[in-house]
Amino acid sequence: MINHDPGSSPPLLSVNKLRVSFRVGSGINLPVIDTADFILEPQGSLGLVGESGSGKTMLCRTLIGTLARHGAVINGGNITFSGQPITNLGESEWRKLRGHQIGYIPQSSMAGLNPILTIKSQLSEVVKHSTGGSESEVRREVLGLLERVRIPRPTAVMRSRPHQLSGGMRQRVIIAAAIAQGPKLLIADEPTTALDVTVQSEILALINELREELGMALLLVSHDLAVIEEMCSLMAVMYAGATVEVGPTENLISSPNHPYTRALNTSRTDKARPGDLLESIPGDAVSVGHWPNGCRFWPRCPIADLDCQDGLQPDLLAIEQRASACIHSDRMEVTD
Amino acid sequence: MQGIIKQVGSFFQHSLVSRVLQAVLVSFFLLTIVFFLLRLIPGDPAMVLLGENASMGQVEEYRKLLGLDRPPMEQYVDYMSNAFQGDLGVSILRRQSVVKIIASRLPVSLWLAGSTVAMVFVLALPLGLLAAVYHRTWFGYFFRVTTSIAISTPIYFTSLVILLLLAVKLDLVPIAGYDPEFPKNLRTLFAPALTNSILLAPVLARILQASVIDTMEEEFVEAAIVRGVKPLRFMWHYLLRPSLAPCIAALGYFAATVVSYGVLIEIIFNLPGVGMSLIEFVRAFDYTAVQGFVALTGLLVVATTLLADLLNAWLDPRANLK
Repeated sequence: MINHDPGSSPPLLSVNKLRVSFRVGSGINLPVIDTADFILEPQGSLGLVGESGSGKTMLCRTLIGTLARHGAVINGGNITFSGQPITNLGESEWRKLRGHQIGYIPQSSMAGLNPILTIKSQLSEVVKHSTGGSESEVRREVLGLLERVRIPRPTAVMRSRPHQLSGGMRQRVIIAAAIAQGPKLLIADEPTTALDVTVQSEILALINELREELGMALLLVSHDLAVIEEMCSLMAVMYAGATVEVGPTENLISSPNHPYTRALNTSRTDKARPGDLLESIPGDAVSVGHWPNGCRFWPRCPIADLDCQDGLQPDLLAIEQRASACIHSDRMEVTD
Repeated sequence: MQGIIKQVGSFFQHSLVSRVLQAVLVSFFLLTIVFFLLRLIPGDPAMVLLGENASMGQVEEYRKLLGLDRPPMEQYVDYMSNAFQGDLGVSILRRQSVVKIIASRLPVSLWLAGSTVAMVFVLALPLGLLAAVYHRTWFGYFFRVTTSIAISTPIYFTSLVILLLLAVKLDLVPIAGYDPEFPKNLRTLFAPALTNSILLAPVLARILQASVIDTMEEEFVEAAIVRGVKPLRFMWHYLLRPSLAPCIAALGYFAATVVSYGVLIEIIFNLPGVGMSLIEFVRAFDYTAVQGFVALTGLLVVATTLLADLLNAWLDPRANLK
């Protein structure tokens, strides 16, 4: 595990050897995260990358305390937020944390807003907590929120319902709701997946501006390395429920220490030259419940040998600022 | 020109006027089908009314009197042109205007249907919502088992159990009969409505449960939880309202079921409604009365569909009815 510098203030978020499973029957658990490790400093930014099914979304749900309603539980490790343990919080304690301390931007701009309520009605839910005030006060607050996320014609948008807005506008409203209570940490689960490229960069720019303005830390989930590279100084790569490599984004991209990180990097479409064959990772991503023994990536790994196929998923091994779970990371240079 | 045709088309699809036209059309087709089907059944009202001892001549004469000797097509045109002027003819059995019979019988059936639907919703909404929220716990299991039992129990058995419990053992409601006065009639309707609800509420609750479970998976619900939306507001605006559409759509099915179960229930609980007299009229080959009752059912089903659409428009502003 990466060591936190003991001299500085406590990290904002620290996830230690976290294990999460679905409860499928009485006493039967199906692991989805095993194990996740990373640290996020106040006002820092960390990108979570991985294929679908690698546990990224479940990790977000762990951090917003909604595992139970998806039939999952934490069964190992610990999480601290601002120095406080939040691994076993009850619902009422989560209620104090959510929104005020941790903001959340859901995956799709399409389904992220309630289709039957007006924008004003949905945003007033968040401002009422702070103002508790009159109709005109709530209205002014909501208008202020919409202006903050740079929505043109906010008075008209306020009266509309989600289906009357474009995807980008909807995502701006969702962001407005997430930052309304001034959280210290913003969790964004693939916030731009459903948007087209120009809108995507606008939304990312908005998130960056708001981060600076409010001093928020950002946990950004994406399967798009280009997005992570642009937005996050740190990066954690997940494969089959485990963080397999963690460290500064530029280092991980320029000299990956785990074959999976390298494979993700070489299969990027934005770096490919016209006419080149696109590289892809051989085989399929392993799904929950079908993880192999040993390092879970070995069936698809170009440098795997017999040592990789036995025992448990290897732990992250820290080297300076970064950590990799590959037992053969020293061979990475050679095989390039 | 095409624009005009398009406008006229959308007008017919959406406007209230088109609903009324639709009701007229449905009733027209229903009446046509029933008119000829009834006449295909062997036997006729003259034979039933005169009894077994009547001679062929007497039966023929009676047929002539009722106008049944004329060619069916002629009778049909006659009947339809009267029907569209609001005259549904005279009951052969009762020698009374069909419209008057319906008018005297309909309120009982409407009260029964109304109280049934109200009771079904009052039972099914909280049950379905709870069953969805707690579907992973023992309550979800209990809900599945009990609703299966309730749905598969025959109505004559359920009604007897309810009568035995509520009327005989506890003496809370009258065992049979109807009081036409408004607040008092609810007491006489309680047991029949409950019987019907025990069969229908589980169906609705299950539809709602499945729908709410789907809604709970939506991103906006997750986001609302993180925002910390107040519990009551969350239950109504985030779980129930977005999940009600399939339940409202089921109202159409319910309208038909409430009517058909209503026939049995009116007999069991001795309620002087439409259903009870319908059986009597069918047995007697009372062509005009049966036709009138069937046209009424058609109108009721169309009216319920309209009601469902209006409800949907209120619940989900995207489905707008002009």
